[in-house]
Order: sequence, then C-alpha cells, then structure tokens
Amino acid sequence: MTAPLDTGLQSMLQAAVQSVHWTYSLFWQLCPQQVILVWGDGYYNGAIKTRKTVQPMEVSAEEASLQRSQQLRELYESLSVGETNPPTRRPCAALSPEDLTESEWFYLMCVSFSFPPGVGLPGKAYARRQHLWLTGANEVDSKTFSRAILAKSARIQTVVCIPLLDGVVEFGTTDKVQEDLSFIQHVKTFFIDHLIPLRPKPALSEHSTSNPTSSDHIPTVMYTMVDPPAAKCNLNDDMDEDIEEEEEEEEEDEVESGSEDETGDGIACQTLRPSTVAEPSELMQLEMPEDIRLGSPNDGSNNLDSDFHLLAVSQGGNEARQAESTRRWSSSQEPMQVQLPTSALHPLEDLTQEDTHYSQTVSNILQNQTTRWLASPSSIGYNTYSTHSAFAKWSSRASHHFHPAADGTSQWLLKYILFTVPHLHAKNPGESSPHTAADTKLRGKGTPQDELSANHVLAERRRREKLNERFIILRSLVPFVTKMDKASILGDTIEYVKQLRRKIQELEARNRLTEERSKLPEVAVQRTSSSSSKEQQRSGVTMMEKRKVRIVEGVAAKAKAVEVEATTSVQVSIIESDALLEIECRHREGLLLDVMQMLREVRIEVIGVQSSLNNGVFVAELRAKVKEHANGKKVSIVEVKRALNQIIPHAVD
Amino acid sequence: MGASSDPTQDGSDEQQKRSEIYTYEAPWHIYAMNWSVRRDKKYRLAIASLLEQYPNRVEIVQLDDSNGEIRSDPSLSFEHPYPPTKAIFIPDKDCHRPDLLATSSDFLRVWHISESAVELKSLLNGNKNSEYCGPLTSFDWNEAEPRRIGTSSIDTTCTIWDIEKETVDTQLIAHDKEVYDIAWGGVGVFASVSADGSVRVFDLRDKEHSTIIYESSEPDTPLVRLGWNKQDPRYMATIIMDSAKVVVLDIRFPTLPVVELQRHQASVNAIAWAPHSSCHICTAGDDSQALIWDLSSMGQPVEGGLDPILAYTAGAEIEQLQWSSSQPDWVAIAFSTKLQILRV
Repeated sequence: MTAPLDTGLQSMLQAAVQSVHWTYSLFWQLCPQQVILVWGDGYYNGAIKTRKTVQPMEVSAEEASLQRSQQLRELYESLSVGETNPPTRRPCAALSPEDLTESEWFYLMCVSFSFPPGVGLPGKAYARRQHLWLTGANEVDSKTFSRAILAKSARIQTVVCIPLLDGVVEFGTTDKVQEDLSFIQHVKTFFIDHLIPLRPKPALSEHSTSNPTSSDHIPTVMYTMVDPPAAKCNLNDDMDEDIEEEEEEEEEDEVESGSEDETGDGIACQTLRPSTVAEPSELMQLEMPEDIRLGSPNDGSNNLDSDFHLLAVSQGGNEARQAESTRRWSSSQEPMQVQLPTSALHPLEDLTQEDTHYSQTVSNILQNQTTRWLASPSSIGYNTYSTHSAFAKWSSRASHHFHPAADGTSQWLLKYILFTVPHLHAKNPGESSPHTAADTKLRGKGTPQDELSANHVLAERRRREKLNERFIILRSLVPFVTKMDKASILGDTIEYVKQLRRKIQELEARNRLTEERSKLPEVAVQRTSSSSSKEQQRSGVTMMEKRKVRIVEGVAAKAKAVEVEATTSVQVSIIESDALLEIECRHREGLLLDVMQMLREVRIEVIGVQSSLNNGVFVAELRAKVKEHANGKKVSIVEVKRALNQIIPHAVD
Repeated sequence: MGASSDPTQDGSDEQQKRSEIYTYEAPWHIYAMNWSVRRDKKYRLAIASLLEQYPNRVEIVQLDDSNGEIRSDPSLSFEHPYPPTKAIFIPDKDCHRPDLLATSSDFLRVWHISESAVELKSLLNGNKNSEYCGPLTSFDWNEAEPRRIGTSSIDTTCTIWDIEKETVDTQLIAHDKEVYDIAWGGVGVFASVSADGSVRVFDLRDKEHSTIIYESSEPDTPLVRLGWNKQDPRYMATIIMDSAKVVVLDIRFPTLPVVELQRHQASVNAIAWAPHSSCHICTAGDDSQALIWDLSSMGQPVEGGLDPILAYTAGAEIEQLQWSSSQPDWVAIAFSTKLQILRV
C-alpha cells in the first residue's frame, strides 16, 4: 500500500465528502514504476455498524467518521502485515472484519483494487482526463464497473471519478444521484485551491487553535481546517484571512459558472483556464479596503451558508435573508442526524451470517495476496514467451481445421478417471497385489483388509454350516418330518411344540385330579372333594371334547359316546408314512399286545413304544410306519381310531 | 507447431530442437503426470499409467540436457495399485524436506524417492473401522504448509491430512454428490468442485460454513476440474463437463464469472495457471490444442470474447497439462501414450 502524498490529502478528501454528504471518498494514486493506479488514501463518511473506542466520552459525528477512516485503514494494514505479533499491533479498539457494515466492507475492499490507465472507472477517468459519473453502480454488469457486485451488496448506487493531483479522486454514495456538473465543480474546489503543497505543522497549529471555539462556530472550524496556514498569529488576522478566502471562493465559483455557460461542457482542460483567470481576481480582492472587510463579519457567515447550499448571496444582504439562511442550515443538519441511524440500521438487518463468514475468508486470502505482492512486484514485467517457444501465436483460422469428435467421446479420459477408475476399487478390493519391493508396505497395510474379507467369508460359511447342522438336528428331533426344506422343518417343529404344550396341560390336569381322589377316605373332606372332582371332570370333558373335535372328523353318535368315557383318549397322527399314536385308558391285562396286533392287521408296523401304568391308568405312545394295502391305499386316521376304540376298555361311571 | 515427430527424420529432429519440444513415449496411456519442484531436480517428471487393472506403474523420467532425450530410470519405476488419479511432487523448492511424491487412487500414498529406489512411505486411510476409504478423485498439496494435503472423493467428502503424523486433520462433507477436484487457496482455505455443479470455498477456521461461489447454469451439470491462481488468489478457474469453455471466477464476486474462455473447438480436459504470472492461464482439450491466455485485460469487455495469445497443436486429445512452478518457462502435456514438455 502506497503512503499518502502528504497529511493534507485525507483532510481534503474529508472536507470534500462531508460537504456533499456522500458515503466515501478515495484517491487513486498513480504508481510511476508500474504505471498503475493504486489506493492512495481515503475517507469513510458512511454508516457505522460497531463503534470501537477507548474514550468513554461522546464524540461528534465528524470525529466518529474520522476515527472510523483511520480504524479501517489500520484494519487493512493489519490484514496486510499478517498475523505476526497480533496482540502488540492491535489494541482492543481495533476493528475486525465482522465489525463492518457492507458499505465499510466496500470501502475496505477498494484498497485491494488497482487500475491500469484505461481500465475500470478510475483508469478510464485518468486516461481521458475527464470525470466519469456512474449512476446505478449497483445494477450495471461487472464489465462496465468492475466492483459492481461489491457495490450491489453495499448498496452503493452512485460513483464519480475525477482526475486530479496526478491521480483520480473517487466519490461514492448509497443514494442515487444523477450527473450534476455543479457537484463536480464544487468538489474540485477542495483540491484545486491547494495545488500548492501544504505545510503540515502550521495546519496542525491551525486545528489546535480552533479547538477552544464554541459549538456555534463548528461550521467555521470545519471549513477552516482546510485553509492554508496564516502568515500571522493574530486572531483578528485569522478572521480577516477567513473573510478573504470566502470572498475568493465565491468569486471563483462565479467565474467557473460563467465559463461553463460559455463552453457548454465541463472537460478538465477547459476548467483549468477559469482557475488561471481567477488568480487576478484574487489579487484584486487582496487590495480591498480594510474597513469594508472588517465591517462585514455577518456577511462572512452568510457566505459560508450559501457556499454549502450552492446559493448566491450578495454582500450586505438584509436580515431576513440571513434568518432564512440560518434556518436552511438547521434543516440540513436535521436530515443528516436522522439519516445516519437509519442507514446504519438498514445494513445491519441485511448483513447475513453467511456474508460475515465469507468476508473473513476473502480477507484472509487477500492478506496473503498482499504479502505476495510485496514479495514479487516484478510479475507484471513478465515476458509472454521466448523465441524458442513451442507455442505459436494463436489465430482463429488455424483452429478451424479441427473436426470435433462425436459427443460420446468428449473428455473421455477425464471422465474415465472420475467415473470408472474410482469404482475399480470396489470391484476387486481383495485382489492380491504382485510381489514387488515397492508394494511390501502396501501388502502389509493391505493384509488386514484381505484377512478381514477372508474372515468374513469363512465366518459366513461357518454360520451357514451351523444353521444347516441345526436344521438337521431339528429334523431328527421332530417326529414325522419328511421334507428337507427349512420351511417344512420349521412348520413341523412349530406343530410338534404345540402338541407338547397340550400334553403338558393334560398331565397337569390329571395330576390335580389324582390328588383329589386320594383323599376320599376322610369323611370330613369328602364333600369338598366330591365337589372339586365334579368340576375337574367337567373341565376334562371340555378339553377332551375340544381335542377330539380337532383330530376326529366325528360322527355325532361317536362324539356322544366319547363324552361318556371321561378318562379315555386316543390320538392318532399320520404324516405320509410316519404315524404317532397316543393312548390313555383304564388298564387291563394284555392290552398293549392287543393294540399292536390290531395295528398290524391294518398295515401299521409298530417301531417304538413308550408306555407307563400309573394308578390303574394306562398311557402309551407308539411310533409306527404306515404301509400300503394291496390296493395301494393307506389306512386313514379315522379308521385307526375306530379300531383302537374297539379294543381299549372304557371307563364306566 | 509440429505434431509428434518420427525419430528417423532429421528434419523433424532439427525442428524439435529449435522449437524446444521434447517427447517421451510410454508403454501405456498416461494420465496422472506432474513436474518435480525441487531446484536440484530440474526437468524431472512423474508419469503414471492408466490401465484398467490392479497393477499399474509410475515412472520418474528425466530430460537429458545433453542429447535432448527424456529417459526413464528403471530403478525409479514402481508398481502402483489401480490407476493414479493425480500425482504431485512435494512443493519444496529449497530441498529442506525429503524428496516425496504423492499419488491418489484407492488411498492417498506418499512415496519416498532416493537416488536408486522409490519406497512407500505412507498409506493414508482415514476410515479406521473398515480399512476401506472412498476412492479419491484428486488431491492438492498445500504449498504454504507442505504437511497438509487435501483429498477429494466420490463419497462426497474432502479430507485434510497431516502427512507427517499420518492422520486425518479434518473431514468435511463437502457436496451433495461426488467431489471431483480440490485446490488450496491459502494456508487454511480450499475450494472444491463437484458433480452437483458447484464450486465451494471452505475455511478451516470455520468448518461449519462453506460458500458456493459458482453454480453451473444447467442444473446438475458437473464441474470436473478446478484451478486456483497461486499468484493472485482472487481468481480461480473451472471446467464444465462436456464443455469447450473454461469459467474464470473472482472469489470476491460469488456466482458471476469474470470471463469465459471459449476458443477450444472441443471439450476442455485440463487447466493450469501460470506459476509466475498472475494473469496467464493455459488450457488443453479434446481439440488437441493447448492455448495460453492473457487475462490482464479482464476488467474491460472484449468484443466477441477473449482470444488466446498462444497455441500448440498436439497429435491427439490432450488429457493432462501441468505448468512447472520451478521452471516456469515450461509446460508439460500428456496425450495418448506420449509425454511432451514444451517451452513457453
């Protein structure tokens, strides 16, 4: 970043931008070595989002803006220098990017721009030596105004560039202002007057002298700050000097206005002539009688007001006009005060979190970039190509010879790398690599993956083997399973478990009944026992009846007979060639043998028998193979049950 | 200029020498390719094969100044699993660090190069659970902080690695779809492009946010390559799938291209910013042309669009392009089975 020309430059920028109440002013300075316009200095006069200060006392709007401009500059310098010693360089009042409004951000970002002559708004103004006025800066495309996008987010609507002081002065505002030549003339006066270099120390002294003045003289103080230093220290002489300057100012305005009327345009080269012509007028003014100047202090005040409002007021104006001027100044003060908080609030509402984060990222990058610029300023002097270059100068004719390939082969290899190659990995992740020294570590690192893959396959295989093994065991445990498929095995197992549950219920019921009967001899308990026994019998009948209904497609007569035979039950299950028979009845001699012989007669070959005799009750479970008759048919469950019921004894109650 | 020449023709050889074009023919298609950066290894490049199989090869080739031949050193040739999607030498001009080469494919691998051998130094896998990470489409080596590498993957993530600790610094879900390329813009800032058609900028100081600075105009038109101007990080460039134009972006103006380069007659495959100039960029594409553009006049409109300043026509579609950062007078291109280095 280039140092400002002198300490007076910012004062001029400040006075000019404040006089017109615009948002910012900048000076683009020509860098002789690179022949490029770079940021020279600036003054920010717009909305402030967050004020950081160590001073507890209130400050005027003017002082706040001045502080802000300095803080923005310090912020940019700190970003440029980088992160070295941040605590030392950045006091608590220093700004960070998140403290900025969008307008301030625009002002800050301008620092990073540079314009060769003829490029961009400042570049064009410099090359043409003519002011450029851009209205609707936030709506044009970035080719017309390279900072258009930034301007849009900051709501900068109007930008003016005026070539001055071997550079370009730029003003910007959030208001939409149409081109106004009187504006150009007005702001130029702040710079044309002071083509003669200023002496810094007397200027400071001037400012210091002005401090004690009362608030009534604030306009005078503001105006005085840009005055040339006085030759004398006398207060009266200072006042005289002010009067002289104001009169000269007025005269110059008149001359320029006349020139404008004559020529019909405001080009810079013609504007310079009025300045030259004005010099004799200044000399003539100096010769005015002392008594006249001393006699018109009020006129001086009027001239100051009229200057701000671009109004022509003759010397010695009447009191009514003076009062009118005073009111106008007051009214102009009021909108400014109201406008500041309004415009400050508006950007706050629109400042989204996303913008804040991205701004920080951009500033981070620019910080690195500025460092790089400092490191290698010679990049602009780069020679495009050497005499031995393999490249030829490009011409449109040469490239016409190419015949584009079919669309299907467009970017073929690039797409192959992006679309096909990454999926090669998924196809064969376990493929072993060839044995080479370079891949030794690779294989070491890859082994866990291969082992994991292999282990997974083995684990899966083991799991399947376990399942198959268990299905086989299950099949052997469950009687009458004939099909090998897993669904059938599961279905049969479910049915078998149900049978087992029913058997458990029956046994439990019978056990309770037996216990009750064993207490019959006791007279005292007999009545209660009888009552319980009857209940049990009813329950038993109900259960047996339900079972028979499920198993037997019974005739009504047989069902009736079964109801009478309370303690007798016969269950027959036949699944293809396998049969299971369960018998429960009163015991008699030779019953088991008789049952087996009967079964043989109906082509049922008994394979296994489990039987028990408990308290006169015979219980048997027979497993058998069902064989076909000569006619190819097998005995049915109903037939088997009928035969069994004929043999077994029935209880008589 | 001339296409690849027949070695037996003296005229072609003479022409080659005069215009400083050097050609190396590999036994396979070349895709991943890059220059060495160290000062003491000039005219050295790595080239990688593109074979649709597990075993692939990487060769380190060297231009012999005395006779103008590019030669491969058999002792510096090694097997590589799967075709590498990118290869980069460590950005260490002053030779302070070991001589390293990184490649991306199923994993990110860092190889150590000594005088007579190349050995695998690190295999970086961020997925601790499955020993398998998303295949990598590209990566970029952070020049400002060479222990950092950022990778992009088809699993929609970008991963930032610390290659000295061999650990993952950060993994971000960068996009809605596959991420095709990644590029550093500074110490802690990178950008990526994706099949979802967007360019996103990430700041490692604020990992929860990313900013879309460009989206292709047609919905879901993938962006396939990205280049960030190292000389002037305000600018980056991206390639659109099946498009002959290159879009140049300004990071300060999200969503609006600064300029669109549209002089290629077919799709663009590769871009490279000049490493020593802030306003030059080279593009190469299916029209077999490598074009060099001067973007210094970007600020003002050019009627009919910008023209490149230089052109070179190769013998086939140019698939890869790299501009040497240690010898900025040279660019390297790869087309078919050939590597060519060209003086600018």
